[in-house]
Amino acid sequence: MKKKKIGVYICHCGGNISDYVDVEKVRQSVEGEDIVFIAKTTMFACSDTNQRDMVDDIKANNLDGVIVASCSPKLHQLTFRNVSIRADLNKYTYVHANIREQASWAHSDNKMGATEKAIHLVKAAIAKARYADALETNKIKAKKAVAVIGAGVAGMKAAISLAEKNTEVILIEKEPFVGGRVAQWDSLSTTTETGKNMVKRLYSELTKHDNITILTNSEVIENKGSVGNISLKVKRTPRFIKASACHPDDLKRAIEVCPVEVPDEFNFRLSNRKAIYKNYPSEYPQIPVIDVKNCTRCGECEKVCKAVDFTEKEEILDVEVGSVLMATGFDSYTPEYGEFGYATSDNVITLPQFKRMIDTQFDKLTYNGKQIKNIAYIYCVGSRQTDGENTYCSRNCCTSTIHAAVTAKQKFADINNYHFNRGLRTYGKQEILYADSLRSGDIYLQSYEDGLPTVITEGKKTIVKINDILTNGREIEVEADLVVLVTGMVPRADNTIGSLFKIPKGRDKFYNEVHMKLRPVETVIDGITIAGACQGPKNIAESVNSALSAATKSYSILSKGELETDPLVATIDPEKCTWCGACEAACPFDAILKVEKDGKTIAEINNTVCKGCGMCAPVCDPDAVNLIACSSKEIMSMIDALV
Amino acid sequence: MAKINPAFGKELNKYGAVNFNACYNCGNCTAVCSLSTEDDSFPREMVRLSALGLEDDIKASLKPWECYYCGECSTHCPQEANPGELMMSLRRYLTGKYDWTGLSGLLYKSLPVSLAAFILTFVGVLAFVMSVGFELEKMVHFGHMFEMIAIGTVGLVILLPNVARMWYFTILKPKVNVSFTKYVKSMGELFIHMFTQKRALGCDDNQFRWFEHFILVIGYLSLLFTTVALDWFSSQNMFVIILGYVMSAIVFVVTVDFVSSRMKKQKEVSKHSQPSDIFFVVWLFLMGLTAFLVRLFIDINILEANKWLYVFHLTVLVQWALIIVPFGKWTHFLYRSFAMYFAKLKE
Repeated sequence: MKKKKIGVYICHCGGNISDYVDVEKVRQSVEGEDIVFIAKTTMFACSDTNQRDMVDDIKANNLDGVIVASCSPKLHQLTFRNVSIRADLNKYTYVHANIREQASWAHSDNKMGATEKAIHLVKAAIAKARYADALETNKIKAKKAVAVIGAGVAGMKAAISLAEKNTEVILIEKEPFVGGRVAQWDSLSTTTETGKNMVKRLYSELTKHDNITILTNSEVIENKGSVGNISLKVKRTPRFIKASACHPDDLKRAIEVCPVEVPDEFNFRLSNRKAIYKNYPSEYPQIPVIDVKNCTRCGECEKVCKAVDFTEKEEILDVEVGSVLMATGFDSYTPEYGEFGYATSDNVITLPQFKRMIDTQFDKLTYNGKQIKNIAYIYCVGSRQTDGENTYCSRNCCTSTIHAAVTAKQKFADINNYHFNRGLRTYGKQEILYADSLRSGDIYLQSYEDGLPTVITEGKKTIVKINDILTNGREIEVEADLVVLVTGMVPRADNTIGSLFKIPKGRDKFYNEVHMKLRPVETVIDGITIAGACQGPKNIAESVNSALSAATKSYSILSKGELETDPLVATIDPEKCTWCGACEAACPFDAILKVEKDGKTIAEINNTVCKGCGMCAPVCDPDAVNLIACSSKEIMSMIDALV
Repeated sequence: MAKINPAFGKELNKYGAVNFNACYNCGNCTAVCSLSTEDDSFPREMVRLSALGLEDDIKASLKPWECYYCGECSTHCPQEANPGELMMSLRRYLTGKYDWTGLSGLLYKSLPVSLAAFILTFVGVLAFVMSVGFELEKMVHFGHMFEMIAIGTVGLVILLPNVARMWYFTILKPKVNVSFTKYVKSMGELFIHMFTQKRALGCDDNQFRWFEHFILVIGYLSLLFTTVALDWFSSQNMFVIILGYVMSAIVFVVTVDFVSSRMKKQKEVSKHSQPSDIFFVVWLFLMGLTAFLVRLFIDINILEANKWLYVFHLTVLVQWALIIVPFGKWTHFLYRSFAMYFAKLKE
């Protein structure tokens, strides 16, 4: 093999490195290495001038690769890989040495030692460069279709956005109807459009695109394959109602005659519904559903409506997609028994229940038959907990509560609103709502987390007490007809779908993105994007924002019909492998498959899924696993240079 | 333990409070106030008490009187909650609460009632002058008599009990322990503030306004002394005559500026002027002007031919003495100085 010609650049980083590391000494100690053709020091390696000089050096001297000894590779590895590309080199021939975080900053008290360490680090990089091969990215064919899971506003909006880009969309909704949480609200804050109208508008847009397939009452039950080629199995529960034979009047009667009554989750259990039902008249799709879990098969509905058809069977559909967009939403926090009087006091309800009450009642606001005038709102219930697990802020509830309070005041006579809060977060334009509420005479009482309000029941009276920090900590009490617990958003209790796709969760137990700021809709599972409140509390605008960016991200993965994956993956030496399964157990990405090859059971790496993390290499007893670009040969030679 | 009274805000709005509910308790108003101190801070605290409707606390507080309304708080309020005007409204409200007859509150809250009172007193004056057949000598004699009787009666029957009520609300009811010697020793505070209003100098850039107000007070008190004790209209003494001219001129000339600023509504202090504020300055102006003209007409001997001027002067005088002094804004002269006295007692 021809001897390599390498260029080495040692960076001063202004003085960040050179104040402690004698960079000239580092240069001198490596320039004599056999493959080093050029060794230079530079004030700022990342500067445009130096990058240009590097390109010129590479081209003028036909260098085979370069090394920059500077800051962390997290900061500038990409910069210098791009320099290599500009100089017509393969980017994987570039090797980075970190002599700032690992030498000058870490050993600022020992200049000699820092210099010594820097020399070793650069020598190790040279040792690696000796074996650093030019690598090519892997290419695989990708199916230009996306499964969007969850048909709330985020899912619907994402589906429309993808369909507009000529991508096939399978919109999968677990519930019998689309719209998610937004369908539950009439009045929405800061816009005049109702939630139901918003859902109606989105649904009619969905149906205009013939490349969108809407599957309601459907759940993903199996997930196979990887980015570009994902195979899903979807279980579709029948509605037991034939759309073709569906006469609205008959269906109405069918609902009337149904003898079964169960608590209505759509109304947060404030009322009951039948076993054959629709949540609200204009719901989409506009066909009722029979809830098989509660249906007694008494046959009453069949007698009055010929659209009812109990012969419909459950279906399992195969869906092939290139990417999956998760928009599975959130649950509302359910307070603990006795938390601020929840379930122990007659007059305590949650915010979602209160919002449904405002939407469904007219003229007079009543609860348990009693007219409501004084309403106490207790904020941050189930959010910003100091004792519980939910330490996060639910973002949306301050605005939502104030909006509900203002709406109640406008809709019903003689309402007094008392807001027991811990500091309000009506950020952005929502602040206007807070100002409106103040001007209308709403009263805000505030405490810190160590002085939460207390709810006391005295006979039929419910009293809320607080030491109000805005009134010199004075104890102030309000006799409330209704106490509304402002419950925040929590992750879905049922995480079947999350486990199926192995989506990691953050400390808040919501789905986790790769990078909060720079990669906000991607997950560590390639090809799986997340949108809406499944990722964390969001309002409608924020959900739609994330839905649109997740749609774009899913689309951009598949848009070329072909995927390029990083060549830095694990490889299996079929000679050495004896299939013990240790690598498969160690792999966090399910990238290792058990295959039969030439009559031998061995491990095989799925290149599109493998991240090159290296978890499999050390557990392999026969040393059959090799990581590309981190091969045993490379690493051992680096260790030799270091010690 | 305190109970919130959300209806209080509506009551306070009748006294002229504007949008104070919009307050989100940032405290900018208190931070910019040059009179507020760490131990004695306002106006945010008063805005808060008003929003919650804690009436007993408001009645026990002297803070509304400690504010001299420079308007900086309202200028700096990010919520446009007008804390300055809230303090002003609290002063009107407290004036209403201190008054045992309840008439103050009635007049403050209702313009029609105020107008009815002005018309009623005018009718009374007309009836009187007709009963004496428009005889000038009798009218002037009565005018002088009326002044003396009114001062005595209003002082004893209305103002003295009201100041006593103020003392009850702010010192006695909140159980502030004050020794007798302290009452005596702090007396000086009362008179200093009554005749100098020196606290108003603590407001930023307020020297001119303070000076105007100061000479107006001196002018008004001197005019009162000249007409009542020295019987200016009947006096032959050159010194008394000239003193009367000078003092009445001071009163109406200085009030021109006060009236015009109330009309222009440019300064924060005059933006939300209530009828009671307007009545006060306009009647003060009319008092000075008509007194000046009456004496002038006497001196150039044309009053006999222009008796209507004296009737007009008498009307203004009666309305001033029976409406504005006992039940109107005049009382701030007393309450402000007593507030400083009581504040000293509380220290």
